[in-house]
Amino acid sequence: MSLTFAGGSHRTVPIELREQLAFSSEQAAAALDRFRREFPGNEAVLLSTCNRVELYAAAEQRQGPPPPAELAMFLAECRGVDLTAVSSVLGGDRGPAAVKHLFSVAAGLDSMVLGEPQIVAQVKQAWQLAVASGTTGPLTGELFQAALRAAKRVASETALGRERLSIPSVAVADFAAAVFERFDDKRVLLVGAGKMAGETLRYLRDAGARDVRVVNRTAGRAAELADRLGATAGHYDELADELVAADLVISTTGATEPVVTRTAFEQLEVRRQGRPLVVLDLAVPRDFDPAIGGRPGVWLYSVDDLGQACEANRRRRQREMPAAWTIIDEETRRFMGDLHHRSTVPVIEQLRAGWNETGEAELRRLFRKLPDLDAAARDEIRQAFSRYAAKMLHPPLASLRSESHAGPPHGLLDALRRLFDLKE
Amino acid sequence: MADFISRISVVCFAASYAVALGFEATRLWFRSGVRGVTMIGFVAAGLVAQTLYLVWRAATVTALPWSSAFDWYLLAAWVLAAGSLWMTLSNPRTPVGLFVLRVVLGLIGAAELSSREPFPQSPATQTWGMLHGGFNLAMSVAIVLGGLAGGMWLIQAGRLARKQPPLQGFRMPSLEKMSLWASRMIVVAACAGGSGFLSGIILNAVNRQRGLLETVPWNDPVVLRMGLLTIWLLVAAAGSRLVSQRPEGRRVTAVLSLVSLALLTLSILWGVLGSTRHGMPPQPPAIAAPSAGGAA
Repeated sequence: MSLTFAGGSHRTVPIELREQLAFSSEQAAAALDRFRREFPGNEAVLLSTCNRVELYAAAEQRQGPPPPAELAMFLAECRGVDLTAVSSVLGGDRGPAAVKHLFSVAAGLDSMVLGEPQIVAQVKQAWQLAVASGTTGPLTGELFQAALRAAKRVASETALGRERLSIPSVAVADFAAAVFERFDDKRVLLVGAGKMAGETLRYLRDAGARDVRVVNRTAGRAAELADRLGATAGHYDELADELVAADLVISTTGATEPVVTRTAFEQLEVRRQGRPLVVLDLAVPRDFDPAIGGRPGVWLYSVDDLGQACEANRRRRQREMPAAWTIIDEETRRFMGDLHHRSTVPVIEQLRAGWNETGEAELRRLFRKLPDLDAAARDEIRQAFSRYAAKMLHPPLASLRSESHAGPPHGLLDALRRLFDLKE
Repeated sequence: MADFISRISVVCFAASYAVALGFEATRLWFRSGVRGVTMIGFVAAGLVAQTLYLVWRAATVTALPWSSAFDWYLLAAWVLAAGSLWMTLSNPRTPVGLFVLRVVLGLIGAAELSSREPFPQSPATQTWGMLHGGFNLAMSVAIVLGGLAGGMWLIQAGRLARKQPPLQGFRMPSLEKMSLWASRMIVVAACAGGSGFLSGIILNAVNRQRGLLETVPWNDPVVLRMGLLTIWLLVAAAGSRLVSQRPEGRRVTAVLSLVSLALLTLSILWGVLGSTRHGMPPQPPAIAAPSAGGAA
C-alpha cells in the first residue's frame, strides 16, 4: 500500500518544455485510460496546469505503484516528448514525501504566485477527471480528500491567500473599496488606454461598477476602447467636466507631463460639491500632480504607492509560510498514520474473528454442561466473554495504532501473525 | 425560573461583554477560525442575561419600569450591545465590538455608580417623564454610534492618506458608510437631545405648577450639562450640514461626532460624580425654629 508521483513544475521545467508536456482535458483522459491498461490494479490522478504536470499513482498491492522514473517515462511517452530531454527536469517522490508534495501543491505553497487559490479548483478538476476515467480508488480517494482538507485549513487558518498581490486587485479591493461602500452608483472615468486599465476595470466590474466613461486624446481610440470594455466614450477636451462627474478615476495615459495639475483640479473642486474622489494614477510618468493627493476628499494612489502595498502583502504572505508548513506537516502525518493503520485492518479482523470463534466454541461447551441456565444468565455470560475478549485485544490493537503513526508496523504485524497463527 | 433570573447580576453580563471584548481585541495579533463564533456567543449570552435582568427589574419595582438612573444606563448599554451584535453578524470582518463594547462596559460602570432608586413620579407627569428619559436615551445612543463612526472614519482616512491598505482581520467599514452614519447620527442626536431637553422643561414646569414633586433649579448640574450638550449638538448638526458640500465636510462631521462623544462622556462623569436635585424626591418642608421668647 504506497503512493508515488512524478512530474515537474515552473520551478524545474522551462516553459518550452512545460508547453510540450501540458495535457488538455481530452489528452489527460486518454493518458489515464492508457495508464489503466498498462498498470492494472494501480490508481492514478493526472494534474496538468499551466505551471505543472504531475502524475500521482497508488497501489494497494505489496509491490506498490510504478516508481517515479517509470511514471516520468509514461508522461513523456504520452505527450510524445523525448525522455532524454525531460529526464533531468522531471522529478518525483514516494510515500510521505509524495503526500506532502501534493498537500503543498493544493495549498498553493508550490505555486508561482504564493497561496493563489485557483490551484484548489485545478486539483479538484484533476480528481474528477480521474474519477470519470476510472483510475481512482480508495487510496487516491483518501489522498485527494486529505489534500483538499489541508488546502482548506491553510486558507482558513493562515492569511496566505488573503493578501492581494497584483496592482489592479490591490487598487480596487484594498483602496477603492475602503473609500466607497458600493460601486454600482459611482461614475468610473478611464483616462488613456494603458494596459493596466482593462484589468483594473475588470476588478471594478466585479465589485459592481456599471457607469464607466472612457476618454482619450484620440477620439477613435476612446470609442474603440469603450466599445471593447462596454463603456461610453467621452471627449478629451471635456476632461474637466468628466472629472467633476467622476467618483473614481483610472489614469493610464502615455503623457510626459501631468494631465491634471493642482491648479486645474482646484478650479473644478467646488463643482464636485464635496464628493470624495479616488484617483488610481497607473501612468508612468504620473498623470495627476501628486499635490492633488493632499486635497481634502481626494485619495490619490500612484503605481509606486500600490506597488509598495503589493510588496508589503507579499512579505506578509511569506511570513505565513511557517504556519502553512506546520499545517501541511500535521496533515501529512495524520494521513500517513491513517494509511498505515489501514494496512493493519486485515490482521485485526482475523485476530477478532479468531477470538470470537474460540469464545463461541467455549460458550457452546459451557451451555451444554449447564443446561439449566435461563436466557438472561446466558446473555450475561456471553457479554462477559465478549468484554473479556475486547479487553484482552485492546493492548495489542492500541500498540498497532500507535506504531502506525510512526510508520508501517511491519514488525508488530509479523509478530501478531506468528503468535496467533494468522494467515498472510 | 424566577429564582434563576433573580440570581443574574450585573457582573454576569458585564463579564460576558468583557470576555467578548478581549476576544475582539485579539484580532490585532492573530487569526483564528473560532474567535468570531466565540465572541458572538459571549455577546449573545451577555445580551440574554442583561435582557432577563432588565425584565426582572421591571417586574419587581413598584414604579414605572426602568425609571432609575441605574436602569437608564443599563438600557442604553443594552441597546448598544444589541446593535453591536447585529453589526457583527452582518459584517463579521469588521471589528465593531472593539469599539462598541468598550462603551457598553463604560455605561454599565456608570450604572453601578448611579442610584437604583426610581425617580419620583406622579400620574400627572409620568408621560412627560417617559418622553424625557426616552429622548435622552435616543440622544445618547445616537451620539455613541455617530462618535464611533466618526472615530473609525478618522482612523481609516489616516491609513488611506498614508497609502496603507486595511489591516487583515481588522477591516473597517468604508469611509462612505461611516460618513453616512456619522452625519445621520449627529442629526438624530440633535433632534433627540432638543426634544429631551424640551420635555424636561415641560416636566419641571408641570411639577412646579401643580406642586407635585421637587422642581429642578436652572443651575442644577444636570440641567446645565444637558443644556450645554444639547446646544453643542444643535450647533454640531448645523455645522455638519453647512460643510456637507465642501471637500473637507466629511472630516469635519467625523470630528464633530467624535467631540460629541467626548462631551457625552464628560457629561456622564459629571452626572455620576456631581450632586444634583434632578430626579430627587421632594425635600420635607423645613420646620421653623422656635422663637426665643416661646409661646405667650
